[in-house]
Amino acid sequence: MKRRTLGQSILLYAVVIFWCFIVLFPFYWLGTTSFKRQLDVLRLPKYIPFYDFEPTTEHWDYLLNMRRDVTWRHFRNSLIAASGATAGAVFIGAMAGYGLSRFRYHWPKLNWNNDNIAFWIISQRFLPPALFVVPFLIAYANLGMIDTHVGLIIAYTMFNIPFAVWIMRDFFDGLPVDLEESARVDGASRWTAFTRIVLPLSAPGLASVSIFSFVFSWNEYLYALMLTNFKAITLPVYIAGQNTQRGVEWWYISALAITAVLPVIAVGLLLERFITRGLVAGAIKG
Amino acid sequence: MPRSKKQTGLGKPAEVTDITREDRVMKRVFLSPAVIVLLALSIFPLFWSLGISFTDILRGGSTTAREAAMTESAPSGFLGMDFSVTLRNYDRLLDDQRLHTAARNTMYYVFVGVTVQFVFGMLLALVLNQSFVGRKVVRVIFLMPMMTMPVVVAYAGRMMFDSYRSPIADLWRHMVTWWADMPLIGSKLDPIIPWLTDGSWARASIVLMDSWQWIPFVTLILLAGMQAIPDDIYEAARVDGASSWQMFWRITFPILLPLSVTVILIRGLEIFKIIDVIVVTTGGGPGSATESLTMYIYKTALTFGNYGYAAAISFVLLVLVIIFATVFLAVARRAAPRAA
Repeated sequence: MKRRTLGQSILLYAVVIFWCFIVLFPFYWLGTTSFKRQLDVLRLPKYIPFYDFEPTTEHWDYLLNMRRDVTWRHFRNSLIAASGATAGAVFIGAMAGYGLSRFRYHWPKLNWNNDNIAFWIISQRFLPPALFVVPFLIAYANLGMIDTHVGLIIAYTMFNIPFAVWIMRDFFDGLPVDLEESARVDGASRWTAFTRIVLPLSAPGLASVSIFSFVFSWNEYLYALMLTNFKAITLPVYIAGQNTQRGVEWWYISALAITAVLPVIAVGLLLERFITRGLVAGAIKG
Repeated sequence: MPRSKKQTGLGKPAEVTDITREDRVMKRVFLSPAVIVLLALSIFPLFWSLGISFTDILRGGSTTAREAAMTESAPSGFLGMDFSVTLRNYDRLLDDQRLHTAARNTMYYVFVGVTVQFVFGMLLALVLNQSFVGRKVVRVIFLMPMMTMPVVVAYAGRMMFDSYRSPIADLWRHMVTWWADMPLIGSKLDPIIPWLTDGSWARASIVLMDSWQWIPFVTLILLAGMQAIPDDIYEAARVDGASSWQMFWRITFPILLPLSVTVILIRGLEIFKIIDVIVVTTGGGPGSATESLTMYIYKTALTFGNYGYAAAISFVLLVLVIIFATVFLAVARRAAPRAA
C-alpha cells in the first residue's frame, strides 16, 4: 500500500473530506440554528452567519440565564445519574474482571469455567432493555424509587457492568502479575495488592470503562423516560420532550442539544486513545 | 469445588501459583458483586417478566381486580390473589396487526441498518487504511457521532430531513431544477421528498440517522483489524501479480471475517433496541409505520398500562433477538469455520 498514483490520492482525500463533512455538518447546523432568529429557521435554510443571516444570542440567553435553573436541574440530574452509574460499574466491573483474569473458577453444576462466566456476563449486555420494562416499573413503584437518582443509578450500573467486566478482564490479562506477586510475598493481602498496585496500574483501562459507562448513561433514553417523571428527569428525556410543547422550537432545542452533547464530546476528544482502545478490545475479544 | 489448578498457555499471564485459603475466599469476593447484581437486576426480572406475561396485571391492579371492584365481590384470581393466570396475552399476539407492523419495522431496521453500516463502514475503513495527512484528526472526528445523544441525532436528523426547510431539501430542489430538462426522468422528479412523512421514506431516514451515528464505529473496528494484518502478505501477493480487488477478497476480507461477524452481531443486537430516534423523529408515525418493538412495548406498558401484554410482547422481541443471533452465527460459522 505504499505506491499511490495521483488519481488515487485525490480519490482518497475526496472520500475523507466528504465523510468528515457528512459527520460535521449536522453539528454545524445545530450550532448555527442556535444563533438564528426564529424567522430564519422557519423559512428557507440559511447557511452562513453574517452572510445570509444575522446571528442573535437571544436563545442562549434564554437557555443559560432566563431558564438557568431548569437547564441546570436536568443537566445536574444527568450528571448525577451518569457519574453514580459509572462509579458503580467501574468498581464492580474491575473487581469481577480481576477475578476472572487471575483466578480459575469452576461451577460444577453447569461445568462452567471462566470463559463461560465471562460470556454469560457479556451476553447480558445484549438483552434488549425493553425486556425489563415491566418488572422495573412494578418493582420501582413498590419500592418508591420512581423519579429518584438512586433508581436510575442502579439501573444504569446494571447495564454497564457487562461491558466493564469484559474490558477490565482483557486489560488485566495483559498486565504482568510480577508486581502483585512481589507485593504478596512482602505480606500484602490480595485486596491490598488489588487496590494499591493493580488498580493504579490499570488507569488506562479504567479510563476507557469510565468513558463508555458515562457516555452510555448520559445518553440513555428508555429507562430515564420510564423511571422518572419530574424531579430526576435527565437531559435526553427533557430534550425529547421539547417535541410537543408549543410546536418545535428549533432554536432553543439546538442550544439545548449543544449543551447536552458538548461536554461528552469534549471529554471524548481529549481521551480519544482510551476510547479507540476500549472499542477495539471489546470487539476483537468478543 | 474441585481443587483449582494453575492455568497455563493460551497467552494468558501465569497465575499466582499457590491457591491459598485467602485466595479461595477472595476469588468469590471479587466476582460476587457483578454476578449478584446481574442475577438480581437482569435474570430475576427476566423470569418475573415471563411470569407477568401470563397474567392480566395492569398498572395499579389487574383486570380481575377491576372486575371484582366493579361487581363488589372478592377478587377470585390465581391462588386467591387479585390477578388471574391467563394465556390471553399470547393469544392476542397472534392477530395484533400493530405488533406485526412493529416486528416487521424492527427487522427492517436491523437488516437494512446492519447492511448499510457494514458496507459503508468497510469501504471507509479501506480508504482510511492508507496513510494521509490529518489521519489523527479524522479518527477523532469519527468518534463524535458515536458519543452524541441519539435524541440529539434525531433532532439534527429532523432538521436535515425536513421536506421544505432543510439543507437537503434545498439541495434537492436545486438538483430538480437543474435536471428538469433531462429526458425521461427530468419531468418526473418531485421537488418535495416526504422524508419523514411517508412510511417507507421515514423508515429509510431513520436507518440513515442510525447509520450516520454508527458507521464510524464499524469503520474504527475494522480499521484496527486491518492494521493488525502484516504488510508482508500484501507484498507477497503483489509480487505474484495480484490486483487490489483480488487482494481485498483473498486477503483482507477473509482475515477480517471473524471481526466482521462480531461487529455485525453487535450492531444488529443494538439496533433491536432502537427507540429514541423514532420517538423524536416520527413518534412512530405516520400511523404506526415506523414504530419499533421496543417503542410498542414502552407504549403498551406506560401509555396503555397493560403490563401483562407488554411483557408478552417483550418476549416476542427476545425470541426475534435469539433467532437473529443464532441464525447469523450459524451462517457465519458455515462461511468461515474460524469465525465466532
